[in-house]
Amino acid sequence: MKKFKLLIEGMHCASCANNVERSVGKVSGVKSTSVNILTRKGIIEAEDSVKADDIKNAVAKTGYKVVSLSEE
Amino acid sequence: MKHEHMHDKVGEEDLSMEEKEIRGWKNKLVWSWILVIPIVILMVAERIFMFEIFDMKTSIIIILALGFPIIFILGYGTMKSGFRGFTSLYFNMDSLIALGTFVAYLTGFFALFDLVQDYSGVASMIMAIFITGKYIESKARGRASQEIKKLLELGAKSARVLRNGKEIELPIAEIKIGDVMIVKPGEKIPTDGVVVKGESAVDESMVTGESLPTDKGVKSLVIGATINQDGILYIKATKVGNDTFLAHIIELVEEAQGTKVPIQRLADKITGVFVPIILVIALLSFFNWFMFTGDLSRSIGVAVAVLVIACPCALGLATPIALMVGSGIGAKNGILIRKGEAIQTMKEIKIIAFDKTGTITEGKPKVTEVYSKVGEKYLLEVAASLEKLSEHPIAKTIVNYANLKTYKKVTAFKILRGRGLEGKIGSKQILIGNRTLFNERKISLKGFEAKIIDFENSGNTTMIVSENKKILGAIAVADSPKPDSMAALQMLHKQGYKTVMITGDNERTAKAIAASVGISEVIANVLPEEKANKVEELQKEGMVAFVGDGINDAPALKQANVGIAMGSGTDIAIEAGDIVLAKSSLTGVVQAINLSKATFSKIKQNLFWAFAYNVLAIPAAIAGVLHPIIAEIAMAASSITVVSNANLLRRRKI
Repeated sequence: MKKFKLLIEGMHCASCANNVERSVGKVSGVKSTSVNILTRKGIIEAEDSVKADDIKNAVAKTGYKVVSLSEE
Repeated sequence: MKHEHMHDKVGEEDLSMEEKEIRGWKNKLVWSWILVIPIVILMVAERIFMFEIFDMKTSIIIILALGFPIIFILGYGTMKSGFRGFTSLYFNMDSLIALGTFVAYLTGFFALFDLVQDYSGVASMIMAIFITGKYIESKARGRASQEIKKLLELGAKSARVLRNGKEIELPIAEIKIGDVMIVKPGEKIPTDGVVVKGESAVDESMVTGESLPTDKGVKSLVIGATINQDGILYIKATKVGNDTFLAHIIELVEEAQGTKVPIQRLADKITGVFVPIILVIALLSFFNWFMFTGDLSRSIGVAVAVLVIACPCALGLATPIALMVGSGIGAKNGILIRKGEAIQTMKEIKIIAFDKTGTITEGKPKVTEVYSKVGEKYLLEVAASLEKLSEHPIAKTIVNYANLKTYKKVTAFKILRGRGLEGKIGSKQILIGNRTLFNERKISLKGFEAKIIDFENSGNTTMIVSENKKILGAIAVADSPKPDSMAALQMLHKQGYKTVMITGDNERTAKAIAASVGISEVIANVLPEEKANKVEELQKEGMVAFVGDGINDAPALKQANVGIAMGSGTDIAIEAGDIVLAKSSLTGVVQAINLSKATFSKIKQNLFWAFAYNVLAIPAAIAGVLHPIIAEIAMAASSITVVSNANLLRRRKI
């Protein structure tokens, strides 16, 4: 298990955060997603096989941009 | 840990992003009103007062021309993000506004050929109001996060350090562990460290919420960003950058603000499907109205009103905005809410269980009396020689009290967890410990019983010492309650909580302490590892909050429905507990409970208003009783209300 922390740009309403959660949640291996519209931060728990790019692509699909990402 | 960006940079980017956003909306706001005011004048003059300035077609062309930059230049971001929803099928709030204004704007062109009524002016006004609403909302959101911003700004920018015997001023980023910093009165302590020279009082209120300054001397730990009051301190840096106490607190609060409160699940589910459902409803309303009235213009008006009135934002913001304000207020007062869930659970708590040592009491035991029949000197010599080998706070107290120059050699030393110590001095078997230990070893307390009971009844922890199964005497150690424990417990009782003290002490000592602070129920003789079980037993009666230090009580904190970890300054184990108190006082517990309750009731209020708004407004729009402009104003007002209502939390006294 690992944890991604993201900062996402372009979200400006609650349904945006929801879209990101939904899209990232569909990536296989992702266990939980929590995206906060206010802090623009997302915390994603995923299996070790999940790559940073998978997450970034899933976010991009909804039309928003990952500004920074850290894994631990 | 792999970082693509440094963590501290995330914070800065985040801030400027927010400021950029506010500034962006402000620019758009100014321009949109410059452009929309002539439209409004034209529309009011011509369509309400029937005062013809231009002929109808010219005025429509003027409105279309003025409206274009509002909708497609100032509203570019909204249109782009909104229409992207139609291709990616990830709809958002913008999809509704984009479609609504686009359709309304198009009517202007058709109106030129007298096909429908002109709604293009309405489209421009909707966009202008939308932009205004967004500006006000972004400002209010900025206010909601002001406490965190203040924490971020708290850190020192530079430090004076000793390098090669010289005092030099360095930017904070260049301070390394081991550097000795010189902090003069009135200055900020640059980073976490330990005092190596000097004495002073330090104001730690910004981190702990505790208003009285703390005295610091050699070996005292100090926290970065706190303020040195009256003496010069020489401080050796022990933690820098992202490892400091302040950095941890900020990270923790930010992470907590991202956690979910269970009550928001329904709202989240609704926001997830809200936009597509509204799109369908708008379409159905249009066809329905057209079928029954045949009035194309009216039907378009209704559909646009439905599109722009629906507001998933208020629903989606209701919980996180209140959590953000609540946890910010908490952080300012040294109350760190680690999990959003805790504030909801707090409402259900019936029982609050407290650890004794260090929670209710100071955690600084003192020897109050020594009783011996063989002479105090010999007793202390034997006791201190064994206690010297233990790390337990009581052991240290006895060692300090005995103040021996030389210690006897101890062999076969053993720590008996929760009971005491044993060892050999020469050939003599020494035992030091509590009643439990002597009962287990079947050593009679004859001749000492009365005195021991006497000690216990006055709240002393009694360490009994024996040599070769013969009692030498007893040492009474007392740990006095914190000054505010009693008042805090009284407040909890007034609020109807049942309070319980869980301790390793024997029944009589525990009861004496409990009585002195007003706790009626005591669970005594509990070994450290059993505390979690006792909490579990209490849970049969109702939801339990456990208050204890984060280090020894971690399992009990975890077992409880809400774990409140307590510690002062750098001593706290920040990862333990659902709520962490950076100040070591029971008043903090009362505050944490009040804050949780206040925050949760704000969340409920917000959710109620957001639901009520949508439930009332959408049918009204479908029924055709709301003009699209009124619909848009209502929509903007609803999300502003939710954010402003959350900001009102600040007025609550906790």
